Amino acid sequence: MKQITVTVNGTVYELQVKSWATLLDMIRDDLGLTGTKEGCGLGECGACTVIMDGKTVNACLVLAPEADGKEIITIEGLSRGGQFHPVQEAFMEQGGIQCGFCTPGMILSTKALLDENPNPTDEEIRRDMAGNFCRCTGYTKIFESIKAAVRKGDT
Amino acid sequence: MEFSVIGKHVPRVDAPEKVTGQARYAADYSLPGMLWCKVHRSPYAHARILHVDTSRAQRLPGVKAVVTGKDFHGWSWGWMPETRDEPPLAVEKARYLYEAVAAVAAIDEDIAEEACDLITVDYEELPGVYDPEEALQDGAPLVHEGREKNISIEYHWNFGDVEKAFAESHIIREDRFCTSRATKGYVEPPAALAYYDPAGYITIWPAKQSPYFHYRHLAACFKLPLNRVRVIQPFIGGGFGGTKNDSVAGDFCAVLLSKMTGKPVKFVYTQEEELTTSRRRHSMIVYNKMGAKRDGTLTAVQTRVIADGGAYTAIGPLTMYLAGFATTLPYKLPTYKYDAYRVFTNTPIGAAMRGHGITHTRFACEIQMEMIAEELGIDPVQMRLRNAIDNPKPGTMYETINKVTLKTCGIKEALNTVAAHPLWRDKDKAPQRRDNISWGVGLSGTAYLGGARQRGHQSCGAIVRICEDGTVNLLTGATDCGQGSDTVLCMIAAEELGVRLKDIAIKRVDTAYTPCDPGSYGSRVTILAGQATQMAAADAKRQLVRSAAETWEVNPEDIEIKEGVVFVTTDAQKSMPFSKLARIACYSGSGAVIIGTGYSGYGVEPLDFDTGMGNGGTSYSFTAQLARVGVDMETGKVQVTDFVIAHDGGRPLNPLGAEGQNEGGAIQGLGQTIYENFIMDKGKTLNPTFLDYKMPRTTDVPDIQVIDIITDDPDGPFGAKEASEGSIVSTPPAVVSAIHDATGIWFTELPITPEKIVKALKEKGDKKGHGSVREAKRMKERQET
Amino acid sequence: MVTLYRRLPRVEYVQPKTIEELLALRAQYAGKGALLAGGTDLMPKLKRREIEAPGCLIDLKGIPDLAYISNAEGDGLRIGALATLRAIETSALIQATYGILSQTASSMASVQIRNRGTVAGNLCNAVPSADTAPPLLALDATAKLMSQKGERIVPLDDFFIGPNKTVLSDDELLVEIQVPRVLPHSRGVYLKLTQRSSMELAVVGVAVMVSARNGVCENIKIALGAVAPTPMRAKRAEAVLRGQHFSEELIEHTARTAAEESRPIDDHRATQEYRRDMVEVLVKRAVIETISP
Repeated sequence: MKQITVTVNGTVYELQVKSWATLLDMIRDDLGLTGTKEGCGLGECGACTVIMDGKTVNACLVLAPEADGKEIITIEGLSRGGQFHPVQEAFMEQGGIQCGFCTPGMILSTKALLDENPNPTDEEIRRDMAGNFCRCTGYTKIFESIKAAVRKGDT
Repeated sequence: MEFSVIGKHVPRVDAPEKVTGQARYAADYSLPGMLWCKVHRSPYAHARILHVDTSRAQRLPGVKAVVTGKDFHGWSWGWMPETRDEPPLAVEKARYLYEAVAAVAAIDEDIAEEACDLITVDYEELPGVYDPEEALQDGAPLVHEGREKNISIEYHWNFGDVEKAFAESHIIREDRFCTSRATKGYVEPPAALAYYDPAGYITIWPAKQSPYFHYRHLAACFKLPLNRVRVIQPFIGGGFGGTKNDSVAGDFCAVLLSKMTGKPVKFVYTQEEELTTSRRRHSMIVYNKMGAKRDGTLTAVQTRVIADGGAYTAIGPLTMYLAGFATTLPYKLPTYKYDAYRVFTNTPIGAAMRGHGITHTRFACEIQMEMIAEELGIDPVQMRLRNAIDNPKPGTMYETINKVTLKTCGIKEALNTVAAHPLWRDKDKAPQRRDNISWGVGLSGTAYLGGARQRGHQSCGAIVRICEDGTVNLLTGATDCGQGSDTVLCMIAAEELGVRLKDIAIKRVDTAYTPCDPGSYGSRVTILAGQATQMAAADAKRQLVRSAAETWEVNPEDIEIKEGVVFVTTDAQKSMPFSKLARIACYSGSGAVIIGTGYSGYGVEPLDFDTGMGNGGTSYSFTAQLARVGVDMETGKVQVTDFVIAHDGGRPLNPLGAEGQNEGGAIQGLGQTIYENFIMDKGKTLNPTFLDYKMPRTTDVPDIQVIDIITDDPDGPFGAKEASEGSIVSTPPAVVSAIHDATGIWFTELPITPEKIVKALKEKGDKKGHGSVREAKRMKERQET
Repeated sequence: MVTLYRRLPRVEYVQPKTIEELLALRAQYAGKGALLAGGTDLMPKLKRREIEAPGCLIDLKGIPDLAYISNAEGDGLRIGALATLRAIETSALIQATYGILSQTASSMASVQIRNRGTVAGNLCNAVPSADTAPPLLALDATAKLMSQKGERIVPLDDFFIGPNKTVLSDDELLVEIQVPRVLPHSRGVYLKLTQRSSMELAVVGVAVMVSARNGVCENIKIALGAVAPTPMRAKRAEAVLRGQHFSEELIEHTARTAAEESRPIDDHRATQEYRRDMVEVLVKRAVIETISP
């Protein structure tokens, strides 16, 4: 077991984790934050995307001990005080959600993309979202959601 | 008709839970003291099981129970009573690679996995059969003893005299088509948390899109009455038919292990388990023969289908029915013959998937019709319009030769709509070649069913409970596995009752409380659960209106409810909020309980598998689609840039949701046309990951325009038919036709990989790609002048 | 006996704070300790049990300042063992002078993977399709390896010895990738053939660096990925064009020669024949692209 200190959604946790547990295991099993999903466990679907020290990562490919000292944002950390984050609003309004399993990762990747590049081109949206797989929507409404989130950011 | 709720762009009712990570899926459930189940699998695609030794696994600290096939006492399941050939765990033989053989329950998943490794099984490896055409040969190894030639299902249907029709045809084509080995590709792998309690009740939270099928399976397997099986439905991470309509080994094992240990037991499959052991779409070989007159009028179709059924029958009888019955749509067909063989092989099981059955044969017919049009020199739009079924006049029906009846048919309008679209109209204006890229535009016109019929119980039910404050609880047995049906059902209830959408609340299925329902498949939810919901709402409304009529001393017929206001049409003075009426109705006399109920009455006649006569659906959708592609003539890489989809879904009740469905179906169809295929080697799946099973990503999808063709079907709630299965059927032929336009080559085997394109261009001796259809025409014209 | 694992195998995890400490651990664990940088290749391999589980994962990320990308002395580029693919992709320094590298990085996997995966890890993983290998081979890169016994510099061309095999020994660390100064008038491009447009391994990868003046090919480096047991230079093909005037005929000859030099295999991702044909197509395109205005 490894002792780690990790900040998740603004709360500092001191945890004992197995050395072979993943960050995803830690988030879901130790913290009970099941909004982060496991789709493939191999870094190919992006359903487990979380933001670690400002950058998106596949939580399934990060070991829990590697998260020691890191600051992590999961989907549960996005809305504050009952207010939806503009990206969450955009996905709801534009129909960027169907089954919802990819949605947490999709929203966090969008947030990270827009934090870095507040006004991405269509091409940049497609390229930077490639790590988030969605089988339901065919992506059209996801692109529309991201563009709507851009417009929300402008106002 | 003016609607208050129907037809509005409405965000999903479950969107807030989904964007905040609060929507809980099967793998998100846990209970105190819960054990983890892991399944041990066969390393052989075909082997006799001689002995299973679980003793080492049993002794591993932390292991609480181990089960093998024998613990299910010979029980097996299947889609029909006569096809129950699949055991929860293999007993005598393993019939496909990684078939489940044993399972363990342990205090954590690490120990469960370790224990699985400690199970040893003695096998006698048997020769396998992996190709359906080889499996049909005499002397091929038998997957199931006693099943001659490995035939799982066989149908032979005849409608009219095809021989005579072919003899009288001006042109006949015979071609072989082959569809890909595709799968649903949802992100959420199968999972469940199960608890068999001391009182003898099962409670399970499984990832199922047809929870009532599963509840029947569990009741039968554990010999319990149905009221002791409680399936509580989590959110579902995508369905698309097949696996989540059915049960998996893990489900039965988790329940049995829970019964043995007295603890809740959970399993979560890996995506690799999903991709290697779950139900897939059948791969089909379609031998198609089509005849036409000189003017392009179709005379006959004769189809022989050989489907790779894999190791068990599952829902195969329905697959083969669907692949046959809809060939008479959407074009008038005077004669038709269908011979279908579903064949057992030592591969994972072929089953339902979005576009079930129809996608294979419609692809074959569409491409063959284009080939004939090309040979006859007829424009592909004119070819289709000449044969397309007309929209029946209101109150009348069109009947096909196999007695499929249509009350609405928008195929002509859909075809005319896409033909007038600039993408098609102006396709000859721009040059077809630029550098190495050859551009092509293709078109298709297809049909699908909605409100699929089946055998056995097929009705959907709904309960509308009016709360005393005027809000409403809607209970249905229908499953929203992502398609947005919970939202649509709430809209239907709101519209029918005359209340605001926000006044309706829906919760997910709980078989202890919600009415029985066959689940999400065959585009049945909006149509059939929708009908049930509309009826239940109307029932509740009748009770409320009666109460209002008594209060106001007016005729019930003069009372209307709209947008939460109750009023008398003949007396402007009399009006009250819906909430007030609810209170009056609930508190009248000693108190009343206002509950409306309804169940669907459409599509109750069972399917006729023997003759193929009659309806497979309640209503039928029609789709015309354009696709524009750029083909790299040196590397064979295809980039699809545009889809235009004109879809007759009757009436889109929630346009935002229906559009998303049509888009999603089209992209799944795109995957199966140019990317997706399981590559098999003697029963082994060589590409069991999302890296190598190639589904479209954000960079691979075209711009999509969806155009609604409104036909208002009388058999749909507020005119609705289906969305999304139509576009998964229309996409492959549109893309194949576009690739033909770009390369001059008809590809008949899916998926069309870059390598296949390069090989075909090489064989044609056309490395420069001059054969692209319109370039070739232009060059010919130039030579002639 | 088959179990399809959801969990990682039980491994220990250590995070040394200095290179010395790390090298000591390397020596101590010998073959039983695996280096962990981004983990984007290692974790899937462990989860799918494609490799035997090491006793211990030795995480580099506790060592400060290994993520550098520098050109401090102006005599070439230095990439530290922990520089991520995303850093390579977005580095202004690399974009300005070694554009081929940022372009290559951007073609790899996803943002999430590139945020974690490192160039050094991509090289040490040593799959034939490793995307960073062809451009670095074409740039004449070298690898600086360290162990308790000392340092050695290995030309990247000698680094790969087979699929998943490199000269890196059990006690060593690839601590830095060194790229010489790029000649003036030179341009490079990496072309990656894939079926989809993202999230793919290269079916064929071709990197070409050309130094051209007045229509003459002063120098050319061609490197190929996914068409041999290791990423490889196509030196015979280079010789066809080196010192010559560019002509369509000669470029085609070069491309054909590269295809002949390649040694692809048949697998579920592509056939040998297709891969070889595509080497020819891609080399030709790459050369033309580097000399186009």
